[in-house]
Amino acid sequence: MRRTSILIGVMAAAFALALPAAHGHETADPGVTGNSILIGGTTPLSGVASAYASVARGAEAYFNYVNARGGVNGRKITYKYLDDQYNASITVQQTRQLVQQDRVFAVYNSLGTEHNLAIRDYLNSVRVPQIFAATGARTFGADFRRYPWTIGYQPSYTGEARIYGRWIQKNRKAARIAILYQNDDYGKELIAGLRRGLGPMKSRIIATQGYEVTATDVQSQVARLKASRANTFMIFGTPRYSIQSFIYANRLGWKPQIFVNSVASASNLMEIASDAGNNKRVNGTISIQFLKDPTDSTRWAGDAGMKLYRQVMKQYLPKGNPNDVFHVYAMASAYTLVEGLRKAGRNPTRSGLMAALASLDSRKNPFLIPGVAIKTGRLDRFPIEQVQLTRWSVNRRGNGRWVRFGPLQRTPG
Amino acid sequence: MRRRDNVALGARAIGVAAFVVVIAILPRFLSDFRASEMARVGIFFIALVGLNILTGYTGQISLGHGAFMAVGGYASALLIAGRPGLELAQLEAPDWLPVGDGMRDFWTIPIAALVAGAFGFLVGLPALRLRGLYLALVTFALAVSVPILLREPEKLTGGTNGLNLFGTTEDRLTGAIDNTVHIPVLGKDMTFNDWTYYLAWTVALVGLAIAWLILRGRSGRAFKAIRDSEVAATSSGVSLASYKTLAFAISAAYAGAAGALLTILSTIVTPGSFPVFLSIQLLIGVVIAGLGSLGGLMFGALFLYYLPVGIQELADIGSLPNGLQDAAKSPGMPSVIYGVALILVLFLLPRGAAGFLRRLLIPLTKRL
Amino acid sequence: MSELLQQVVIGLASGAIYALLALALVLIHRATGVINFAQGEMAMFSTYIAWQLVQWGVPYWLAFAATIALSFGGGMALQRVVIRPVENAPVLTVVIVTLGLLLIFNGLATWLWSGEVRTFPPNRPFPTRTFEIGGVVINVQDIGIVLVTLALVAALWAFFRFTRAGLALRAAALYPESSRLVGIRVGWMLGVGWGLAAALGAVSGMFTAAAFPPLEPTMMQAVLIYAFAAAVLGGIDSPAGAVVGGLTLGVFLNLVGTYADDLQNLGFPVNLEGLRLPVAFVFILAVLLARPQGLFGRAEARRV
Repeated sequence: MRRTSILIGVMAAAFALALPAAHGHETADPGVTGNSILIGGTTPLSGVASAYASVARGAEAYFNYVNARGGVNGRKITYKYLDDQYNASITVQQTRQLVQQDRVFAVYNSLGTEHNLAIRDYLNSVRVPQIFAATGARTFGADFRRYPWTIGYQPSYTGEARIYGRWIQKNRKAARIAILYQNDDYGKELIAGLRRGLGPMKSRIIATQGYEVTATDVQSQVARLKASRANTFMIFGTPRYSIQSFIYANRLGWKPQIFVNSVASASNLMEIASDAGNNKRVNGTISIQFLKDPTDSTRWAGDAGMKLYRQVMKQYLPKGNPNDVFHVYAMASAYTLVEGLRKAGRNPTRSGLMAALASLDSRKNPFLIPGVAIKTGRLDRFPIEQVQLTRWSVNRRGNGRWVRFGPLQRTPG
Repeated sequence: MRRRDNVALGARAIGVAAFVVVIAILPRFLSDFRASEMARVGIFFIALVGLNILTGYTGQISLGHGAFMAVGGYASALLIAGRPGLELAQLEAPDWLPVGDGMRDFWTIPIAALVAGAFGFLVGLPALRLRGLYLALVTFALAVSVPILLREPEKLTGGTNGLNLFGTTEDRLTGAIDNTVHIPVLGKDMTFNDWTYYLAWTVALVGLAIAWLILRGRSGRAFKAIRDSEVAATSSGVSLASYKTLAFAISAAYAGAAGALLTILSTIVTPGSFPVFLSIQLLIGVVIAGLGSLGGLMFGALFLYYLPVGIQELADIGSLPNGLQDAAKSPGMPSVIYGVALILVLFLLPRGAAGFLRRLLIPLTKRL
Repeated sequence: MSELLQQVVIGLASGAIYALLALALVLIHRATGVINFAQGEMAMFSTYIAWQLVQWGVPYWLAFAATIALSFGGGMALQRVVIRPVENAPVLTVVIVTLGLLLIFNGLATWLWSGEVRTFPPNRPFPTRTFEIGGVVINVQDIGIVLVTLALVAALWAFFRFTRAGLALRAAALYPESSRLVGIRVGWMLGVGWGLAAALGAVSGMFTAAAFPPLEPTMMQAVLIYAFAAAVLGGIDSPAGAVVGGLTLGVFLNLVGTYADDLQNLGFPVNLEGLRLPVAFVFILAVLLARPQGLFGRAEARRV
């Protein structure tokens, strides 16, 4: 027993003596060298949410394109993105790594609502920009007073659903509304936005059914919504469940006016939902757009922006799927960042970048539909605040496409 | 006979001492970030020690230990935040829940272990009647359900977004904000990452010692008896009910401590921090480590943490030809590589690292 | 009332899908004593093969048959190459190997076909016409799926009970040493077991793509959870149990969701809508506590 206690004593002493001295302090504005700018972020590259990885890959491809043309103000952009497996605990660890170890100039394009929320306090406390958080939760644009170093990019879910609500108020006074929503903050924020937009008509929401991402199908929910005798069907879910909603509504013989949220409205998804023309329910579906749809070859056939998109994809992301609209989103976001970096000048600082991003005013983004501006201001941290209402129209030959109607709509966050 | 026992004991003691010394001085040689990585390895290690007691020694399968980590993680977060912290996050705890008024982060570790252990005891009760696959399903059900159940009372736990401690309290999180931790007794400063490393590994070593004491005592023999044959164990007077639930409770307590450490390390807790895959990883870890021995656990923990990381970094190794790099990074490939690596390791070490070590060291030591 | 019946009908349809995959799980477990966690991903991979064949111009039913044949061969090969080396390892090691296979098939499908959503031609395998009875909409495709599932269970039961091959399979699983003595080639029997299970899985996958569109790499993951639950609920070695378990689970899940709102209005503290899965598990746990071997399982005699 004496031997054991001596051993323990030795181990404890070794432990104590081994504690290292403090590491050095940080200097201001790391990440910028004479010829490069280092930015970093986190994205789910593996696991169930790995479909969103395109958001990082598309941006990287665009930066490579810009770098090949001299970069920004003589500096090449290095974009380092790490796989957080869609797990917010890992997001935190990796973001700390990017800030403390890799010394990035800014955190850019991290994906996920709870993931960006998890790092927001930390980044703001160490004054590192959290740029173009890839999420539609409105808090990233709305709460800039408390979090001045944070800014989102896409129109908020609230804003989008408000537009549906306003349109229904004006054009479907006899609406009885049923909602299928994903049972998380994304789905619930869409519902909240719809209620705001409906105003006095919000009592017309007569049925809501949620689904978990562990569900195999939403047939039961759609049947329940049909049983409520609603004549308007809001699909506030992700692509898989959106496609199913269309198909089940059709199979159950329900004929409502359908609205589908922009996350799930890409043309190729609508084609699948139309079941090769057998499903007439998709006709007349309403959604909103702000990105150019890469699967809509007729509309953007001669468009310079989409030509650029395809060129960048071919040259810098040949294994990527050009039909994936997340790539378009990624390039739009990257384009705006480049604009902001240019504006931040020859010797960019973090606060200089934030100032630049808080005073954007540009209509030149080649990946957004014409007319949609990138605009931010002293009291406005929602870069994109305009969207286009679109309706899915099927011609006599059975080909469907999104056709815009009405003026650009404002989504003030 | 006695001389050989003494040699075996001495050899093992030296091995353990060497292990402790290496752990103690490692941060000197590691970058700050690697220290935080090793802290995560430590978290896996703690959970594996516990799971090994249940699955390796008592022979009860669990596909749901991530759920116990979740319980510990949330308990720790609620205790650190306390009522004032919850209020800041626009949440509130019901009156009957003793969340307290906020506690320093490391004190929540033992409490989280107790809470998780109690939960594990409750789970162990129905498990008494179930064996093998049926038990596997029930524990799997836990892995799927507990994060959902923790998410549902939104007003208390913050729903999908969870609880962000960074935003609700600064003074109870050691070193998370200013990245400096002052150790009073020795008058030294260290970074947050080094601090979490030492916190995790201190808990790990204490946990390892406790496990060793439990396993070499009467409980350990009872556990092994149950694993080898329940009928024989019962007829030798071992109470199945007591020891099975004890094994569940102990292993859950370890997982709870690991979960609390995860919360402290990340300064947040969300339902998504404990996905189903985590429970599966833990089971992979104990099998890779080698069931029923403490020897291979470090290997298991390192494997769990570094394999996915290594695969990602594979693409950054300059010496690999470009084509191979692109292939390694393309969507889907990392998963394939992980699966192939897992199967290959098991082909080479079907009884895990400990089994391999055992075969190597049989001349020197008795069976671990 | 018709709403309740509608939910039951829908539940039976999804339950049949779970039952099919559960059948595959039961088959492998009966034949080789292991739960193959990769069954879902293998089924998904088979479905992609079928899709690719259709893309190349092969008529659907030919592709269907070819996929089943290819899956049978692939399953058999898998058993010989991947499972046999760890035959004598602890059971848990084999389980982890199947988890490795899960990761491999999932990654391979994503790598080969990307995560983009896809679909089969319409009205395959069965027409998606519907008809209505008393306010309840019934889909011909769902009827077809249920009938095929029942037919497969019956066929499987008959195979095990009445054919020599089935007997050999059962013997090889339960008493490998004695079987060898009688001349049964145990190794090949295990391979056949895996092959059959893979073929069943392929059917399950193709039906899933039709009933729960679209086709994408993650489509079988949730189905596997339910299939596992159904198999255990029914008794892990019973094909009939797998089907009863699957159908029961499908209906139960839908009823929980259907009455979640009503229950909440009656004062129930939480809305069970988001808790369908946990509630289903509680239900299964309750059944297992009453009957630890599952609904149709055999009570195990404990050997010293």
